[in-house]
Amino acid sequence: MTPPVKGDGMRGLSVFISDIRNCKSREAEIKRINKELANIRTKFKGDKTLDGYQKKKYVCKLLFIFLLGHDIDFGQKEAVNLLVSNKYTEKQIGYLFISVILNHESDLMRLIIQNIKNDLSSRNPIFITLALQCIANIGNREMADAFAQDIPKLLVSGDTLDTVKQSAALCLLKLIRTAPELMPTGEWTTRIIHLLNDQHLGVVTAACSLIDILVKRNPEEYKACVSLAVSRLSRIVTSTYTDFQDYTYYFVPAPWLSVKILRLLQNYPPPEDPSIKSRLNECLDTILQKAQEALKSKKLQHSNAKNAVLFEAINLIIHIDSEPNLLVKACNQLGNFLSHKDTNLRYLALESMCLLATSEFSHEAVKKHQETVINALKTERDISVRQRAVDLLYAMCDRTNAEEIVKEMLAYLETADYHIREEMVLKVAILAEKYAVDYTWYVDIMLNLIRIAGDYVSEEVWYRVIQIVVNRTDVQGYAAKTVFEALQAPACHENMVKVGGYILGEFGNLIAGDPRSSPLVQFELLHSKYHLCSPQTRCLLLSTYVKFINLFSEIKQQIQHVLKQENNLKSSDVEIQQRSVEYLQLSMIADADVLATVLEEMPSFPERESSILSSILQKKKPPMETIGQKEEKIEKTTTNVQNGHEAKLGQVQSIANVQPVDLIGLNSTPPSTKNHTPTAVTPLKSDQEALLDIFGGPVPAPVQSVPVSNNNLDSLFSDTFGVPTQVVSEVSQFNPILSIQDNHMQFIFTNVDTLFENEALKIFIKCEFKQNLARLTLTFLNKTNFVFQNFSVESTGNNDLVRVLPRALETNAISSQSELAQILNVECVNDFIECPQVLVQFSCEGTQSKFELNLPVFLNKFFDPVQMDSQTFFTRWKNLANPGQEQQKIFKANFPIDKDRNSQTLINFGWSSLTGIDPNPENFCGAGIIHTSTQQYGCLYRLEPNRQAQMYRLTIRSNKESISKRLVELLDNQF
Amino acid sequence: MIGGVFMYNHKGEVLISRIYRDDIGRNAVDAFRVNVIHVRQQVRFPVVNIARTSFFYIKKSNIWIAVVTKENINAAMCFEFLNKAVEVMQSYFGKISEENIKNNFVLIYELLDEILDFGYPQNSDVGILKTYITQQGVKSQSKEETSQITNQVTGQIGWRREGIKYRRNELFLDVLEYVNLLMSPQGQVLSAHVAGKIVMKSYLSGMPECKFGINDKLTLDSKGKSSASGTESAGNLVGGSGKSSIAIDDIQFHQCVKLSKFESDHSISFIPPDGEFELMKYRTTKDINLPFRVIPLVKETGKGKMEVKVIVKSNFKSTLIGQKIEVRIPTPPNTCGVQLICIKGKAKYKASDNAIVWKIKRMGGMKESQLSAEIELMSNEKKKWTRPPISMSFEVPFAPSGFKVRYLKVFEPKLNYSDNETIKWVRYIGRSGLYETRC
Repeated sequence: MTPPVKGDGMRGLSVFISDIRNCKSREAEIKRINKELANIRTKFKGDKTLDGYQKKKYVCKLLFIFLLGHDIDFGQKEAVNLLVSNKYTEKQIGYLFISVILNHESDLMRLIIQNIKNDLSSRNPIFITLALQCIANIGNREMADAFAQDIPKLLVSGDTLDTVKQSAALCLLKLIRTAPELMPTGEWTTRIIHLLNDQHLGVVTAACSLIDILVKRNPEEYKACVSLAVSRLSRIVTSTYTDFQDYTYYFVPAPWLSVKILRLLQNYPPPEDPSIKSRLNECLDTILQKAQEALKSKKLQHSNAKNAVLFEAINLIIHIDSEPNLLVKACNQLGNFLSHKDTNLRYLALESMCLLATSEFSHEAVKKHQETVINALKTERDISVRQRAVDLLYAMCDRTNAEEIVKEMLAYLETADYHIREEMVLKVAILAEKYAVDYTWYVDIMLNLIRIAGDYVSEEVWYRVIQIVVNRTDVQGYAAKTVFEALQAPACHENMVKVGGYILGEFGNLIAGDPRSSPLVQFELLHSKYHLCSPQTRCLLLSTYVKFINLFSEIKQQIQHVLKQENNLKSSDVEIQQRSVEYLQLSMIADADVLATVLEEMPSFPERESSILSSILQKKKPPMETIGQKEEKIEKTTTNVQNGHEAKLGQVQSIANVQPVDLIGLNSTPPSTKNHTPTAVTPLKSDQEALLDIFGGPVPAPVQSVPVSNNNLDSLFSDTFGVPTQVVSEVSQFNPILSIQDNHMQFIFTNVDTLFENEALKIFIKCEFKQNLARLTLTFLNKTNFVFQNFSVESTGNNDLVRVLPRALETNAISSQSELAQILNVECVNDFIECPQVLVQFSCEGTQSKFELNLPVFLNKFFDPVQMDSQTFFTRWKNLANPGQEQQKIFKANFPIDKDRNSQTLINFGWSSLTGIDPNPENFCGAGIIHTSTQQYGCLYRLEPNRQAQMYRLTIRSNKESISKRLVELLDNQF
Repeated sequence: MIGGVFMYNHKGEVLISRIYRDDIGRNAVDAFRVNVIHVRQQVRFPVVNIARTSFFYIKKSNIWIAVVTKENINAAMCFEFLNKAVEVMQSYFGKISEENIKNNFVLIYELLDEILDFGYPQNSDVGILKTYITQQGVKSQSKEETSQITNQVTGQIGWRREGIKYRRNELFLDVLEYVNLLMSPQGQVLSAHVAGKIVMKSYLSGMPECKFGINDKLTLDSKGKSSASGTESAGNLVGGSGKSSIAIDDIQFHQCVKLSKFESDHSISFIPPDGEFELMKYRTTKDINLPFRVIPLVKETGKGKMEVKVIVKSNFKSTLIGQKIEVRIPTPPNTCGVQLICIKGKAKYKASDNAIVWKIKRMGGMKESQLSAEIELMSNEKKKWTRPPISMSFEVPFAPSGFKVRYLKVFEPKLNYSDNETIKWVRYIGRSGLYETRC
């Protein structure tokens, strides 16, 4: 090794640099540089050949000028010439210039690569290292292509020096980052893995980084590294700090390497081999124990290094998540840190604890620190730490401590920093809803929340409050009373007014009995806030007023007076104006019955996941995401309460206002399914046909043929659906046009069709799917001349894997020749085989009929197609090789083998049909993700047709056995 | 109004900071330093707005002088003030430099207090300022003197004090013109204008009233009209000679000129301040007599070589002589060697400026001179050279715009010396402004 020669200072260079430093102005600097550049140009152009020293000096000057921010467009050739030199300093400057200045598409690249190749094969390790550094610094594709072969060789060869190996590993790492497909495979794998066993710790450290990235790309192939890594780790952990002289950092043996190994291990599930597993657990245990020991040095570096290893070990423990013992120990260790005087430690401890709280084993252990965390929230000076404390409280909350945590968070909210308030509000809202046993408690908390942090309460939060109050009859009275009291405060937040307005409008009658909250008092209370509110809120209040007209006719005068006021009737806000005008007209024209129908109490909201949760998920950072995954998957709800509240009013109004004319001349519009306006019940027959035509269903049979007998009707249903009703009929005169089961399977590929039809009843279905949710619209057409009464559709509730929630019907009667739409919300909880069922009931002419209807909801409906390239496909394919994950079936072709048709069938099935993936172009493959509320399942398939034998082989792989099986069943015989 | 005045050296250190109004905080000093002086790319606009504070600045040698305000004030006024302040300081201690400012900071603060009051510009006439801001120590002044100063400052003629006496009444008049030109390689004038000014040095006793006549077309025409049309011969003389009157585009006078008189009968009359002052500024764009012509010939002869030939022709009366002639020929940035041949003057390649500089000390009228250069280039195909224009500087003893002083009459009613007794000197100097020829 030749160390850089001392006294090799380039005088010209230092003079130049000091000249530049002494320049008083920028102009002077530019002048000096121009002069120098001209000088260098003449020197380079001149006839005299320059010796190595001079070249080096001028190249150095150019480099310096470049670093000052000037463009350099010459000198590359001279720099490349320097590479040929045998002197270390000259070579070094040459490489330096090339790595700093050379742009990637330089035409000198080839020459440079040739020079680097020469150096790589040189005997002098310093030259090799210089070359490797240069490759890594440039690190472009060209470099990757040129050296993809040489560097792995250098890396594993026996006679390379350790330092060179180290550089080679890091250089390869850089190249793999730019060109992942060039990664060494096959024979190199084991040899690279065995670098973990190298004597030299530097090599191991470098190799560890390399293996980490290789593992991330191809976990299967590098699986063997786990055992080596564990044994290496245990050697480090069990050693004392005196064992590794150069690699001991402030009494901690090889901290960087330990951290890297611990990270590497996080790429894999816990080792299956019990001996390795126990060894790993021992290591982790030792690390935890070492943390307890007294510090060997007071220096900050010592504790930093030690804690770095500890935290990475805890991350690994959390990743493994199966060792209650270790988890609890880790938790206790973190608990110590919670009151440590170093802020960073407190932050990290809280962050890791957040993860621990999500593990079932350590959840209880985390809960022990509740006091400390709450204390941290109150006393901590660093805001980021406080934020972590909030996260942790949220994560550790469960039914037992919810009340206390929510109380603490509410208390803290009053003093919390402004920019975490919104997030805290969301968290409080979620916890309160999730763990509410007593809904009066929930209402109290939410109203408090709005009172304390009204500005930070987003729309979703108060929508949710209203949803819950509307859906839960038991709290409505209490809620009305509480909001009434809350509104009495002299200054109310606008959100409070909104909630108050809505709730009083709906349930004000529940507290009207009390003279202190008589209708007039309620109205005056609300109206006292009216002028302080934004137009949006005013609109809501106007709706409340019109609802009051319905609820309490005695204050109609006052309300009409308000509606008549100039600032409402002639408001500059169009919405307010329209509402005032329409509500006023409504209150004057319509009689009490119409009013009661129009202004009826809002129906319950369909149960769905809180939209607040999704909004918090969108916001959140890593720790929250993991929590989010453990919670149920949520669809973001788009409709909001307010719209719902208004929509109904609006709809009804238009009917009320324009009634006679419109309904008679209705030819062009499909009949309304709403039956509460008396004229709307007899739509024209032609309309109906047209309607059905649009949906592609057959035109219904002539109405006249419908039998008049109740018995017949009953028997009809019992026959068709195989569910006995009270009367069993002798003859079934009407054979169903379509049998339910036959028709059923076609829905695997379509979403809209006639589900069932006979002479009396036709059921038409339309399905819409989105991730794990579905909305089915069942349209029942009564073809008889009788009225079906007490019509209802209910979930049978015997399928836990697919939940069906019927939306409340607006009416429960279907008159003759008319139809009724029933919307069902379906949620896929987990993978399922049985189709969900609903129970349909109605009575006709006093006879009860009921039958179970299979809904055409299949597992494949919850597919999202996935596009991927060949490499990812086969990597994933290989990953799903466990027994059971693959299901295969060979079957005969039902149809002539047609490529386009098959591809279309596969796409209709819901997953992607990818071309150019499989080496055989005849084959089909593709991928999809099944969304369920609990989990997502990735599925891959290959369909291999055999034209000679007219056979297919279908292979499906997914991460759950039952899914693969079910998918094969569904696809079987479809080709 | 002006909120404060700051001066910085080239490193951005504050030398002088005088704040006149409360709305300007201390942080404004730093804001300017950070956002203008220390930014890497040069800020090229003279007015910068940082955090609702406007900075108007000029740079004199290495000193930055900035006026700061929060209000929406007249920008031209700010620059006028800045230039005036520089003029005042120069007359007190010479060149503006860091050292001079550091040595005279007491004086500078005193001056700043005098020429700006609560942000409103006050009297900035050097002659008057020098009567009561002196560099000598504190001198107790008699009551009379102080009352005189007060009268002076508040009086009608603020620029001249009474009781001045000279043995010889003398005045000097310099007509200074700057010619700006941009010419195409083919010799077509793309744009040209002359910016001129008249600087006067007066050493006159008492309170003389002067009348000044120039060959301005407008003045002469109106005169011609107002004087009886019968004097045809005079009218013919003016119209016939053509060149004898010039069209002035723009004109600006010193405050001593009575504008009302100029408005009514186009005569320039004034009571001059004592000593040197700038009587008027003007601009013309028509009928400019261009003193020199540059004819460039640039040939790229094959790879790595270039030939440049430049001919300079003088275009004025052969009896006159041009001086301080300098031609600056830009060279490509990849120049690595230059050979020069010139018959007259000295030529040199200046690498630091990327240009060939050709200097000729004197050159008579109607002559021409030639320079040829061979430039060796480093091979570099990537960037095309943009060929900046060849620029030139010179000094000639006439006014290129054709401006002429017709008369300057002095009347002093109280002291009896007549116009004929005063000695008057008139000098014409034509200089180059931005005098460029494309190549």
